[in-house]
Amino acid sequence: MKKLVSTVLGMAMVCALGSLAHAQAPTDPQIVGIVQTANRIDIEMARLALKKTTDPQVKDFANEMISDHTALEKSVNDLAAKLGVKEETSSTAQQLKQQALQERRKLNTLKGKSFDREYASHEVAYHQTVIDAATKTLIPDAQNAQLKSALQGAAPVLQGHMQHAQQLVQSLQGGGSGF
Amino acid sequence: MENSMSQMNRPATSPSPVVFLLFLALLAVLVSNAAGQTPPKSPQNIIVIKQMHFDPPSLNVKAGDVVEWKNEDIFSHTVTASDGTFDSGLIAPGSSWQTTITKTGDIAYHCRPHPNMTAHLIVQPLVGAEQHEQAGAQSTETSQASLRWRPPTKPEEFHPILVDFTAALLPLAFLSDLLGRLFRKQGLHTAGLWMMVYEAIITPFTSIAGWWWRNSEAGQLPARLIVVHEWLGTAAAVLFILLAVWRWGFHKRTITPSWTYLIAVFIALLALVYQGSLGGAMVFGQ
Repeated sequence: MKKLVSTVLGMAMVCALGSLAHAQAPTDPQIVGIVQTANRIDIEMARLALKKTTDPQVKDFANEMISDHTALEKSVNDLAAKLGVKEETSSTAQQLKQQALQERRKLNTLKGKSFDREYASHEVAYHQTVIDAATKTLIPDAQNAQLKSALQGAAPVLQGHMQHAQQLVQSLQGGGSGF
Repeated sequence: MENSMSQMNRPATSPSPVVFLLFLALLAVLVSNAAGQTPPKSPQNIIVIKQMHFDPPSLNVKAGDVVEWKNEDIFSHTVTASDGTFDSGLIAPGSSWQTTITKTGDIAYHCRPHPNMTAHLIVQPLVGAEQHEQAGAQSTETSQASLRWRPPTKPEEFHPILVDFTAALLPLAFLSDLLGRLFRKQGLHTAGLWMMVYEAIITPFTSIAGWWWRNSEAGQLPARLIVVHEWLGTAAAVLFILLAVWRWGFHKRTITPSWTYLIAVFIALLALVYQGSLGGAMVFGQ
């Protein structure tokens, strides 16, 4: 059940970001807006996880998300300031926020192991979605070479987060059902 | 010249300038070495963490080598051996971490927060002469050093050398005067007098070398230990001068040193033992 919900939510996000490919290509200010929204969403999710979890592995993971996405956010801000690009919102950024809100509502109803598992599975799906969006849409569509290169540089850290989240999912599977 | 010769031949009743001249000569040798060429820097095994990669991803080292990881990325990373032999904990951006590799073979390691960051060390066992070389090289700075003697040039070399004198002279000064009193031997008292004088002369230099070391290692030494060690060391240097002056007073009045003096020296000795244990903890322990 939990897995199904995560998959559905993940797919919804893929659709949201995937629709970029069909819609008009995002502009550089919109790309910056999407990337920063994605960073902030993950930081907020991690803060929620820190409030609700008691599992040290989940805490470590959440702290790492806060630390890495804050560093990413800062580097994108610095680059945007340097390039004179001011972030703009877009329908994709709005959709991301909307889905994050739904996920937060769901996470708020859970506790203990069920919370940990849902959070971990969500992080796998979320990072996969962001990686797909970055490689298929944001990187190819970025006009500025430095922005393009920065997005390419961010891909490995997202990949690392996804693998870590997958390990977390596996590790949490051993402890009995949360439902 | 004649004057100094006659003083040398006389029984020591006042501090001979020759002692000071010898000491100054020794100091001149040490200082000229310090100003001379620096020894060749031993090659270090440094792995840079940058843009989510360990660079180089594979490194050949020898058992006993010190390997250092420098985090030049914008994220925190760990250096975690897959077999559990070492784990750095989080290394913040701009920081570094080092460890001595003892296990041989192919050691795979990764970053815990980013499992896609993997690399490995290929650790060769030591053979023959290298083993002897490594056995002699205790500090991380000199892991590649040979047994060949090199003049000291760095504060971390001067301070331990001078500490030897400070640590040896005080207990001998105490013992000589104590035994001199117990067995009523003037020769032992003379030894006790001079060793206390040498102690008072050499310890300020030990202390200066200590401060020099601390300043060159800014921030890398355990903060609480170093604060106590540096001020206790400075206080000891002053205290030894006062004790030497006190001891000189007994000599001038041609009387044996009092029990109060001996107790004071014994207390100074206990402080010196404590001071030594702090120094040892900083060099050998965490």
